[in-house]
Amino acid sequence: MHIHALIILASLIGINSATPTQEEEYHESLTLRPLRDGKVATHFAFTTLIRGAVPRAPHSLADDDVSQHYTLFPLALGQILREYAITELHLNLNAGQWDYDRWGQPGEPAVGSGAELWVWMGDGAPTSVDARWKGTQNALAGLFCTSLGGMDAQRTTSPTRAFPPAGNLPRLSAPHTHRLRHASLPAESVCTENLTPFLKLLPCPVQAGVAALLNPHRLFDADWHGLGIDVRWIAGKGVELRMTVQAVFDPVRMSSEGKRDWTLRSLFGRVIPRACPVASSSRITVDLPADGGFVLLPDPSEIYPTSVAFNLARGMEELDISMHWSQEVRFSYPLDLTSTPISAISVDRTLKGASQTHGDLALVLRNNLHTPQRVLYLETLPWYIELYLHTLSVECGHSRPYELFGNLTYTPPVPHGSPTLLQAELILPPHERVRVAARFRKSFLRYTEHPPDAQRGWDLPPAVLVPEQGARARVYTRAVLVDLATPDFSMPYNVIIMTCTLAALVFGFVFNMLTRKFVVVYVGEKKEGDARALERVERSPSKEM
Amino acid sequence: MRFLFYLPLSLIFSLFSLLALTACAADLEAFQRASARARIGQFFDRNAVGASSESKHTNNWAVLVCSSRYWFNYRHMSNTLGMYRTVKRLGIPDSNIILMLADDAACNPRNRFPGCVYADAGRHLDLYGENIEVDYRGYEVTVENLLRVLTGRVEPSVPRSKRLLSDDRSNIFVYMTGHGGNEFLKFQDNEEMSTFDVADAFEQMWQKKRYNEMFFMVDTCQAKSMYSKLYSPNILATGSSQVGENSYSYENDMDVGVAVIDGFTHFTLEFMENINKTSATNMQEFANKIRSHADVRSDLFHRPLDRTLITDFFGGVAHAEVIESPITTSVTTVSVESIAPEELGLREPVADLLINVSAAADDVEDHYAHFGGKQQDGWAIVAGLVGYVVMRERRQ
Repeated sequence: MHIHALIILASLIGINSATPTQEEEYHESLTLRPLRDGKVATHFAFTTLIRGAVPRAPHSLADDDVSQHYTLFPLALGQILREYAITELHLNLNAGQWDYDRWGQPGEPAVGSGAELWVWMGDGAPTSVDARWKGTQNALAGLFCTSLGGMDAQRTTSPTRAFPPAGNLPRLSAPHTHRLRHASLPAESVCTENLTPFLKLLPCPVQAGVAALLNPHRLFDADWHGLGIDVRWIAGKGVELRMTVQAVFDPVRMSSEGKRDWTLRSLFGRVIPRACPVASSSRITVDLPADGGFVLLPDPSEIYPTSVAFNLARGMEELDISMHWSQEVRFSYPLDLTSTPISAISVDRTLKGASQTHGDLALVLRNNLHTPQRVLYLETLPWYIELYLHTLSVECGHSRPYELFGNLTYTPPVPHGSPTLLQAELILPPHERVRVAARFRKSFLRYTEHPPDAQRGWDLPPAVLVPEQGARARVYTRAVLVDLATPDFSMPYNVIIMTCTLAALVFGFVFNMLTRKFVVVYVGEKKEGDARALERVERSPSKEM
Repeated sequence: MRFLFYLPLSLIFSLFSLLALTACAADLEAFQRASARARIGQFFDRNAVGASSESKHTNNWAVLVCSSRYWFNYRHMSNTLGMYRTVKRLGIPDSNIILMLADDAACNPRNRFPGCVYADAGRHLDLYGENIEVDYRGYEVTVENLLRVLTGRVEPSVPRSKRLLSDDRSNIFVYMTGHGGNEFLKFQDNEEMSTFDVADAFEQMWQKKRYNEMFFMVDTCQAKSMYSKLYSPNILATGSSQVGENSYSYENDMDVGVAVIDGFTHFTLEFMENINKTSATNMQEFANKIRSHADVRSDLFHRPLDRTLITDFFGGVAHAEVIESPITTSVTTVSVESIAPEELGLREPVADLLINVSAAADDVEDHYAHFGGKQQDGWAIVAGLVGYVVMRERRQ
């Protein structure tokens, strides 16, 4: 038996070293950023890279796929990517409204509330891009326990200017190109059932590394939280999967004394027990707040001017990082938060009007920089919100400088079919407020098109602004609720019952008249003359009426 | 073609394995085999100690439905999650549980305890936990989707986690809760599922061989009416109330702010908490225990309740038979003994085998490269072959 064991071992080792393997790398990082308003922004990033891998070519969908072997890359996701030949995939599940003015730019730009999915895939496959898009949604819905299947044609757009590929797209043979499909579900909730499968895709889910901190009870208590999956292909490097978790915690709310001190244990209810053994790099970065006066424990491994870093090395002890302001008895909120925004653009989107038929959509932008900014404005509206394009106006101060607005593309909605897509370029003068407004008409929906909680209103997906210079990080506006005319849902039953009653009454009356025979019936003795009278009655029954 | 390709390989391997196996006491091997069989038997029989199960099922499924939306129906979410906790605790894996929750109670903005759904007023038992998979949620919980799940008529791209992939050896536990009335259950305050829909869906499942036995539990007002029209065999049904009666919530939690669980499910959950995977508790004991006017319908069910285990429906029971004689496959019929090693020109078995394995691996790789496959496949096949030879030898 020993000989056999040797043979197996030797043969396996021999062959292993003889053939090149696909290299996989896993990096994890956590960034903690204390914010001006006492909150702490946390950003987890788990990056898996398959070196040398390429996305599946769409035309190969006709053939059987090669078998897949991964060591660190999650197979469940890999299968979906191969099954539908997805070149690039971005899925985000967020809850809450990211406050750009107070918190600045987020670590991951996709912070629109609800679910957002966008996919780049090549055409030329035996199945259409739309069929594969539908399949991708269903597969991801099953994997992440979401209702992404609700992203039907009524929500799907392809805004290529605002959502360019984050990586590279492989070259396809002549007539074929890559297509974008984008959809969002602003009312999608995010909870433990989404985090559970998310963690199962990580090489070190709960026992080790920074992922050990992802405690659902704390994460979903955060003021803002979001999960993200980004898959892209980088030419010359390979396929990269980036899984991110972001959350904004409020230590002041969680502290009984109203202090902004935090530790990993106070934020997450856990500490890091050990390093993830398969991670090529594992790193915690703490951005240092500008106001000073804090104490950070333990000593970091690297120190930079505005941040410090801790490297999680193999054989490390349990790690808990704490930051406390020893001089501070109670955190006092700065009062100038709204007047001193730290984002480049402040944006606010509102719906106005109490009417059930019409309304106004207004977008107010403010350039917080000293230089003019050019931004791309993307508005996706469901078909039941029909913009009156001729009422689109731009206001800056007291003038209406239409030259600020340009390069507009507009896809009108198809009722019960596809949404409105409006893309335009805006120039924002320095330190100026620009107001873009338009009137719209609310359509009347079919009785069966209403959701079960129709009285709640309909969520409009967030508008997106993309600065055309710098990092081009997308800015999401708030998702707003629109109130459509809702019928009294018991009305059809009332109408049916009323109509049926009336129909029965009328029909019964007529039927009676036509078929019933009215006769005079004598009880008792029968006389000669009466018999004749009866005959007369029988001949003309209407006389007796 | 591939089979033919492997055949000579396996032949060579078998040959040298035989040569290498020079001395092996037959009685020792017999002893090892017997003890291994006993261990395997114990492992699988652990689930069926005591009055061993008479059920003929080989797999368990659960379909758990909460059909109510809105925060004030918290108790319906917690009812369903209570049953989810039970079936998961007793061994049905998430892949075999279809959980439908019409609203998000755990991460509802009104929930003071994010990520938690509690089963009792003291908030001792968190049903949501840290490991949960909800298959249908929110607007997806509709009568249509439930009927599609039960009858298996789903779109081709619907993932496995959203399908009931049961067969004629599956025991299925179906639990429904929500607001109902005489012969209907409301879904999301918007549509109704009638008892006729349920009865016809179950009949279709029976005809399509989608279940072996079914346990149907309903917690709603007039629950008995929900299974009054069933006519398919092997269904055991129970409900919280008689026709004309209401079902009520059990208790409120002042911090959650709403009723946390319904009475019937509370007592069911309490009963189930005392049951473990090896429990021999039967359905009759359960029927005796449940309170109020709860009803059990067993006329369609062919087994007596006192010989039907709770774990037949709530536990993921795996039945395995340990067979006495080894299974022979067609490959083993090749008479390897008749070929002498000299005929093949091989004298040093170990070294030659090594060389041969490498050569064979190259061949395999070439073969695969031709088909555009990955090179790793070659090793897997070689490892599999070597392993197979070793296994076969043990049998001999």
